[in-house]
Amino acid sequence: MTKIYGIGENQVKALDDATFSIGQGEFVLIVGSSGSGKSTLLNMIGLLDRPTKGKVFIDGIDTTKLDDNKISSFRNKKLGFIFQFSNLLTDLTVLENVLLPRQIGGTNGSSEKDARELLKSVGLESQLNKRANKISGGQAQRVAIARGLINHPSVVLADEPTGNLDSVTSGIIIQLMKSMAKKLNQTFIIVTHEPEHFGDVDKIITIKDGRALEGNHLREEEIIA
Amino acid sequence: MEYRLRLAKRMLFNKKGSLIGAVLAVTIGILVIHVNFVIFQGLFDAIVRDISNYRNGDILVTDEADYIDKSDLALANWFERIPFVQGATPRLSSSAEINMTKNGKLIEETRVPVVGVDPYRDVKASTAHETVAEGTYILNRNSVVLGNNVASDLGNAQVGESLKMLIVDRYGEDQVRRFTVAGIVKSPGGQGLDYSVVMHIDTLRDMMAREGESGSFMVKLNDPTKAFEVKEFFLAAYPNDDFIAETIEESAEEQLAGFRSGIAMINLIGYFGMMSSAFAIVTIQMMLVNGKTREIGVMRSIGAKRKDILIIFIFQGMIIGAIGAGVGTAAGLGYTIYAKETKMSFMNSIPLEVNYNWEKIIQTALLSFTLAIIASLYPSYRATKLLPVEAMRTV
Repeated sequence: MTKIYGIGENQVKALDDATFSIGQGEFVLIVGSSGSGKSTLLNMIGLLDRPTKGKVFIDGIDTTKLDDNKISSFRNKKLGFIFQFSNLLTDLTVLENVLLPRQIGGTNGSSEKDARELLKSVGLESQLNKRANKISGGQAQRVAIARGLINHPSVVLADEPTGNLDSVTSGIIIQLMKSMAKKLNQTFIIVTHEPEHFGDVDKIITIKDGRALEGNHLREEEIIA
Repeated sequence: MEYRLRLAKRMLFNKKGSLIGAVLAVTIGILVIHVNFVIFQGLFDAIVRDISNYRNGDILVTDEADYIDKSDLALANWFERIPFVQGATPRLSSSAEINMTKNGKLIEETRVPVVGVDPYRDVKASTAHETVAEGTYILNRNSVVLGNNVASDLGNAQVGESLKMLIVDRYGEDQVRRFTVAGIVKSPGGQGLDYSVVMHIDTLRDMMAREGESGSFMVKLNDPTKAFEVKEFFLAAYPNDDFIAETIEESAEEQLAGFRSGIAMINLIGYFGMMSSAFAIVTIQMMLVNGKTREIGVMRSIGAKRKDILIIFIFQGMIIGAIGAGVGTAAGLGYTIYAKETKMSFMNSIPLEVNYNWEKIIQTALLSFTLAIIASLYPSYRATKLLPVEAMRTV
């Protein structure tokens, strides 16, 4: 896919025919230097933005053909998001944040039980009724993971999920994501500039000059940048 | 609770300043309408009340031929057997020239309105006798009661003093008589008989050479809402006479027409005030939407449709409208109760006739609630237009 921002002389090519495929249940890292287009790529995969040219297939569906409502439903049911700053809704409690994707999708049923179990699995069973702005950064990121997983999405997208955390908490979050991926057989696509913290992963995709290269093709100084 | 309603409520209640501002805007809008209603409708109703109490009654009977020649007894008895009728009394009007000597100086007043009343019947059909500020109401055929303004024009005429009155009779002859001032009437707001001289109707009949005739018949009801019914009944009972019977709205139409336009204008100003509060809601909600850009982006990214975002912010408009309408109506009712209990008067003059017009109260509350929802449509629409990726960039 190709993504161009701006028009005329102010055009910036963020992605240049970036092509790759990811299999079901793979734990994938997307790396690249600052401004290389990693987040743009994640936004395209997450259907938060549309490519200027090219297509995104998820579960065999050409997502570029979906209208706005169908994209929303698709995001709700097939995709899970974990953001760098957790992005919890501070007006809601921890439990309500995790339940939100279910409520948006209109599937309630055993939602609260599932949410409680997920929060238990990320070690937050005692924080259920706390307001989201009353918990620590690490706890918030764990809530975000639970929220990203509540609808059993095919693909979980994480943008720098440990970028805002100390090294100890980062390690806990990474292990949590890995164990969840294995347990639930879900595809995890993670944008990071710290691939070494993730240890063994199924695939690394390097974004360089807007192109996607399989494997870690970054030099040490580029990673730091 | 529906998650969109819960979110709308939490987002709003966590921004207390915005909530209070928006609710205040609705409250003030409603309060303006209530205050306008209490003051201006109260003034209008007070004028109607006074015209009814002092001059026209709830039904005013006149005759196409200027004077009613049917006997007082016949007409009064006919009316008073109807259960809704409190009293019926004849009235006769003319104008007089009055001379009075004060401290050796002759004071002359011309074209003073004179009202002839039957003292016995008048107290049942009118409250004019309650406006006596000094002395008493009509005592006998040789006494008069002066309106406060007439007394003042006559050099502060006092009770017990005498005056000479000239009235031209139906044949053009001058009829002069001397009277004693029995009392002075003064009514708040001046809608009473402050500019007239009140005398016994039989004396006035003598002076006008109109034996047994009356100018009008004033009928007061226990239940003024039955005025039209009684009027129609009366006209049907006297089909061969040339009676004209009018309800207070009809008989005072000329005096009240201008006032009605004024009230309509004041109401319009009130509704413009309400529109202004709607603009305030638009502004406050736009601020709320701008303050929640990140949350909107997050919700969109986890699957919320544009419709869901729209509903959340419309719910906010409904919450603002409901609270504002509730508080505004409570405040408005509080003011109305205060005005009624304290017998509030307009410019320290005429006591306002304060009524609870429930239809208008509910209508105003519903209107402001609806306006708050309408006002929330544009900010809600703007919220739906935020692209998730753009919204997320505000992090």
